[in-house]
Amino acid sequence: MNSFKLTNINIGRTLIYLILLFFAFIYLAPLYVMFTTSLKDIEEIRSGNLMALPMDPSLYAWKKAWSSACTGSECEGLAPFFWNSVRIVFPAVIISTILGAFNGYALAKWKFKGSEFIFGALLFGCFIPFQVILLPMAKLLGSLGLANTVTGLVLVHVIYGVAFTTLFFRNYYVGIPTELVKAAKLDGAGFFAIFRHVFIPLSTPIFVVTIIWQFTQIWNDFLFGVVYSGSGTQPITVALNNLVNTSVGGKEYNVDMAAAVIAAFPTLVVYVIAGKYFVRGLTAGAVKG
Amino acid sequence: MGSISLNGIKKSFGETEVLKDINLDIKDGEFLILIGPSGCGKSTLMNLIAGLEELTGGEIVIDGNDVSEESPKDRDIAMVFQSYALYPTMNVARNICFGLEMGKMPKNEQEVILKKVSSLLQIDHLLDRKPGQLSGGQRQRVAMGRALARSPKVFLFDEPLSNLDAKLRVEMRTEIKKLHKRIGTTIVYVTHDQIEAMTLADRIAVLKDGELQQVGTPYEIYNDPVSHFVADFMGSPGMNFIECVVKDQNLVVESGGEKYELSIPCTDALNNSNLDVVWLGIRPEMMTEIQPSVAANSFIHQIKFDVEVLEPMGADTVAIGQWNGDEVMARLSPESGNTAGKGFDLQVDTSKAILFDPNTGLRMR
Repeated sequence: MNSFKLTNINIGRTLIYLILLFFAFIYLAPLYVMFTTSLKDIEEIRSGNLMALPMDPSLYAWKKAWSSACTGSECEGLAPFFWNSVRIVFPAVIISTILGAFNGYALAKWKFKGSEFIFGALLFGCFIPFQVILLPMAKLLGSLGLANTVTGLVLVHVIYGVAFTTLFFRNYYVGIPTELVKAAKLDGAGFFAIFRHVFIPLSTPIFVVTIIWQFTQIWNDFLFGVVYSGSGTQPITVALNNLVNTSVGGKEYNVDMAAAVIAAFPTLVVYVIAGKYFVRGLTAGAVKG
Repeated sequence: MGSISLNGIKKSFGETEVLKDINLDIKDGEFLILIGPSGCGKSTLMNLIAGLEELTGGEIVIDGNDVSEESPKDRDIAMVFQSYALYPTMNVARNICFGLEMGKMPKNEQEVILKKVSSLLQIDHLLDRKPGQLSGGQRQRVAMGRALARSPKVFLFDEPLSNLDAKLRVEMRTEIKKLHKRIGTTIVYVTHDQIEAMTLADRIAVLKDGELQQVGTPYEIYNDPVSHFVADFMGSPGMNFIECVVKDQNLVVESGGEKYELSIPCTDALNNSNLDVVWLGIRPEMMTEIQPSVAANSFIHQIKFDVEVLEPMGADTVAIGQWNGDEVMARLSPESGNTAGKGFDLQVDTSKAILFDPNTGLRMR
């Protein structure tokens, strides 16, 4: 009877693993194809099998995608645009996260007249589609003299991102006991001191979540990038699009694939590094104090 | 050093009036307990004293200074919370010193105070730990340590023991009392536990629906309650209330086909009113098995009592049954040998009995 049960479990287990492997394969196959294709030369791509491993792996496509592929009329590869994206993403993520933390802290723990309305209005900001704000934002950037600049794009991403970051932090801070604020007030701490000494140290998990979210959103953004950037300030997503659409002679799939992996690389890295903290839940059990 | 006057305190949250005109003077060094059922406004009153809520009306005077408009940190008050509210990311030492750090006290002076406080509360060995690594009782001590460190004028305790298990609660209760004896600082302590109130307080203030019912020593509150509510709320088990018909100077109770005439000491109260029916208030310990050793007098009565449930408490056994249609609790000796479901004779001593007006619930005097 015991052995009967055992085999039953084994069959079930095997089935589960097979299903999981199947879905993992489906999800990972495109990445595999991109990666192997980027290492093949163009002859092999035309004649060979899509799924086959490269016979003679070379980094030619990667080098070209990075430094000499044509994105429209210029042929400098993705490198300058990669750095454009970095210059947009870092300040935008940092500023919007800090603003969100402050907003969330104030809205969760320092209720004032109309704070619920303001939170509701901010929440509404999460549901406004990108397209709706394109024109008014273009006008605003123009009158601020920030059209076609990196600063302008940072501003757009900060404004659009604050709604989300505020929501994240507010919901996290609502779960932190208000008695901590009361205790700190009696200990003589004010608004900023309580934030700095009590709330920030508790916020690692939500900072990680917010940073992952904002980094991915802003790095992957195409629409704002294509609308508000000038020729020298385009982010990598726009450049990737231009690179793929510019063909000199035949289509170089290996270069396209390498460029796509380069463009996706930073978000992958962020997930791999920070995802661990994200899952671990750094303050598990500590908030209860 | 730490006297508090509450003058005409009012507090409303929107339309709801939580506190209605509270007047109370707390003497320097006094241990005052605020007690009442949940929702009576006792925690709100404490938050008002601390400055964590704004007054709707009235004034709070500490040591002769009106602090009604002052922020919490300027009131020189420390508070121990029900959930302890220890800062989870700081170790015990920093938790205790956080108030001093905010007050810009030099590090070496902080160290001196930390040493003193931690040895007083016997938490020296815990200083490097985080609150998450402490047991309930240890967190309780750290919370008290944090309050002690600033040596404030007044301590506020907001149900500090209600998160502890029963045994630890009794231990910490004693410790709080010892601590108060030692440091002599004014303490205002909120609880809904009447045993805590009785054991700890110099004076007890009973609150109900945002109004002070009675303020007095534990003895006064227990033996001389002003209303049915106070009498019922204080004491475990609570006071018995028996509906009686007034006949001449005596009370008539009918139960189980028998008719009892009870004589009572407080006949003036009967004369001063013209009520036909009153509530007789009598503590369970005045209803016992027949005790031959007690000399017969006019206040000792014998009644027949049907016991429904027996609750052995160890030192004594509480018998619950019906008498005159009212639920009555009697405190018996555990050796009395009675069993539930049977009737037996009970001795009722009315020498300390008191009367309440059934219409208003107020004490008749």
